[in-house]
Amino acid sequence: MIYFDNSATTRVYKAAADIAVEYMLNLYHNPAAAYSPAVSVERAVSLSRQRIASYMKMDSSELIFTSGGTESNNIALSGALGARRDKCRIITTAVEHPSVYEPFLAYKAKGYDVVIIGVDSTGRIDEDAFIAALDANTGFVSIMHVNNEVGSVNDISRLYRAVKQRAPRAIFHSDGVQAFVKMPSVNCDMYSFSGHKLYAPKGVGGLFIKRGTPFVGGQLGGGQENNLRSGTTNVPSIMALDTSLEAYMKSHSENTASMLSVKTRLYNNLSSIKDAILNGPSIEESVPYILNMSFLGVRGEVLLNSLSEKGIIVSTGSACAARHRGKNRILTAMGIRDDRQDGAIRFSFSPENTVWEADIAAQAIEDSLKMLRRFRRR
Amino acid sequence: MERVLLVRYTEIHLKGLNRPFFEQKLIDNIKRALYGIKANVEREQGRIYIIGISDDVFDEAIERLKRVFGIHSISPAYAVDKDWDTVVATALSLIEKQVALRENLTFKVFARRSDKHYFMNSDGINRELGHLVLERFPSVRVDIHEPQIKLSVEIRDKAYIYAEEIPCSKGMPVGSSGKATLLISGGIDSPVAGYFMAKRGIVLSAVHFFSFPYTSDRARDKVVELTRLLSSYAGNIKLFLVPFTEIQEAIYENCPSKETTVIMRRLMMKISEMIAISEGSRALITGEALGQVASQTLESICATDDAVRIPVLRPLIGFDKDDIMDWARRIGTYETSILPYEDCCTVFVPKHPVTKPVLEDIRASEASFDFSDMIDRAIEKTEALSVKYSDPKAI
Repeated sequence: MIYFDNSATTRVYKAAADIAVEYMLNLYHNPAAAYSPAVSVERAVSLSRQRIASYMKMDSSELIFTSGGTESNNIALSGALGARRDKCRIITTAVEHPSVYEPFLAYKAKGYDVVIIGVDSTGRIDEDAFIAALDANTGFVSIMHVNNEVGSVNDISRLYRAVKQRAPRAIFHSDGVQAFVKMPSVNCDMYSFSGHKLYAPKGVGGLFIKRGTPFVGGQLGGGQENNLRSGTTNVPSIMALDTSLEAYMKSHSENTASMLSVKTRLYNNLSSIKDAILNGPSIEESVPYILNMSFLGVRGEVLLNSLSEKGIIVSTGSACAARHRGKNRILTAMGIRDDRQDGAIRFSFSPENTVWEADIAAQAIEDSLKMLRRFRRR
Repeated sequence: MERVLLVRYTEIHLKGLNRPFFEQKLIDNIKRALYGIKANVEREQGRIYIIGISDDVFDEAIERLKRVFGIHSISPAYAVDKDWDTVVATALSLIEKQVALRENLTFKVFARRSDKHYFMNSDGINRELGHLVLERFPSVRVDIHEPQIKLSVEIRDKAYIYAEEIPCSKGMPVGSSGKATLLISGGIDSPVAGYFMAKRGIVLSAVHFFSFPYTSDRARDKVVELTRLLSSYAGNIKLFLVPFTEIQEAIYENCPSKETTVIMRRLMMKISEMIAISEGSRALITGEALGQVASQTLESICATDDAVRIPVLRPLIGFDKDDIMDWARRIGTYETSILPYEDCCTVFVPKHPVTKPVLEDIRASEASFDFSDMIDRAIEKTEALSVKYSDPKAI
């Protein structure tokens, strides 16, 4: 099987799975308990927290573990707004992941002044419009670091400086689920990440909250995670997360180079196919692990099914909803429509992928297209 | 004091000499529905009594029986000794529960005496028991015409006393009307059509056509799930999954585009008929409603029926879409039907389908290409699944 859907989820590193098993079978004690085995578990978690925080150049006290990206994104918004009384302006982009976008819509329904900023044709935020929208009443900003569908990158640190100049009271959050450790760290008030996108198990992730950021925790109970997110510490998953991140970081530059070579090879192979169009930024400007292309004249879903039959796993840019032909919000915001939107496919890579796989996949796509393009609605 | 379920059935009474056959079918279906629950099912004088159900699964048993076709209504009853004091005490305790539930309760007593040796006749029981209730509960009144509760007392081998009548699915016992084969698409209509025919006593099998890669594995799973939900009413259903891609592509390449839908449906009907006959089915069932889409005009229906010899039953033919959706919600298939993986084979749907196909033209277009090898291959590659409803609570 050729797995090109690593932005959906990844295979857990063996070493990470092993350490999780160790913490389930042997070192299973509750780190909040008083006896010495529990204390050593607590120390291990604390070391992991330090190491993971260091990838963000932040202190371990500024990282809380969560169940993953969705929870981190949700509580970033609710925690920041919970610390304020007024219904302030809150700003995000048109291409955020649903775990950011949907909570914004929910706050809009509650009467908050929600501003959604558009993007350019490559999926990057329209910076001029964003800066124009910042005012003294702005309380919260959320801009994704790397777009999950087309791999465009926002310059979070620069946007952060702009926010601090124009709206000093605003809290700046960035969804880093598709970026954390794979891209250079950025400066902002809050930053979300997810374990299973990074070769760790599902159900673990984190939220960085810069010291001094007003934040009200939501989940009440035993007071874990600095009293901001109660719940028994998910020790096996946290230890696995630490292990997978450490392994990834050890070969960071090789990993980046390897994924870039696979992506470039696949793109070069595919770009010779008739009516194959790159979506998002150029190969050099987008992240090395996401490639989004449209193949005109074929529904992405159909091509996906055809490829999966050949053992090649990809994802569609657009969710196929035959009866209410669901538009893809991200591609629509980028000005990509109709046939080009319907035929979009996302390829996303891990360091385990090879150039050989890129060649096999490209050939398979060419074959499938030859077969499928015979049929057009008439 | 034993709790029993008293099961009433209606139409079976009409079936004259066949009555024992229908009653036995119903009893078999009741036993199957109660699988895993310890109970004795007994038939007596136009009623079915289910006895020996333990209290912890009593409500569960009622829920399951609500899905059994052929049952008109059920009443949870107390079966007690015929001794008059016991009858009175049981009846009063039933009324007491109802008084606690609502104010200004109205009632009437409805006694029946099959045991003609009983010391009091029906009328006597009505008057005597009514009097005792009024004496004991001053707030309660009698209403002969529209009582809120009917306190029923049946004197048989024992006295059966009840106040509640739970309406059920009605219809005919599944298996009392033979077999038919449902064309199931994954949409809203076909499961409802299957429901209605099962309700008339039909044993269902089902045929689904899939066109991978134009339809996905999830669309296939969805049809299996819809069949499973339907089988909670209809009993086990044999589901045939027919690979249709090759035929669909051949229609596209060889037939006029505006006629492709009609020809596709004709070929689906033909394949379904072959499967139906091999299964002992006497008819096909579809979820068509007249005029709903281009392929459901009277002309299109004539053109598709022409492809088969066995009758095509269309229980929804006169339904509005809204009503079909309401039924789908009632029987619990709607939420699954609207899952969005239905079909990505929109490339095969003509932009301008013929709404009034001329039969001769359709026959000629279809005859211009020999589909028979492809049909044989499709049947050869058909997968058959036995879909069984297992109650999640029973696991």
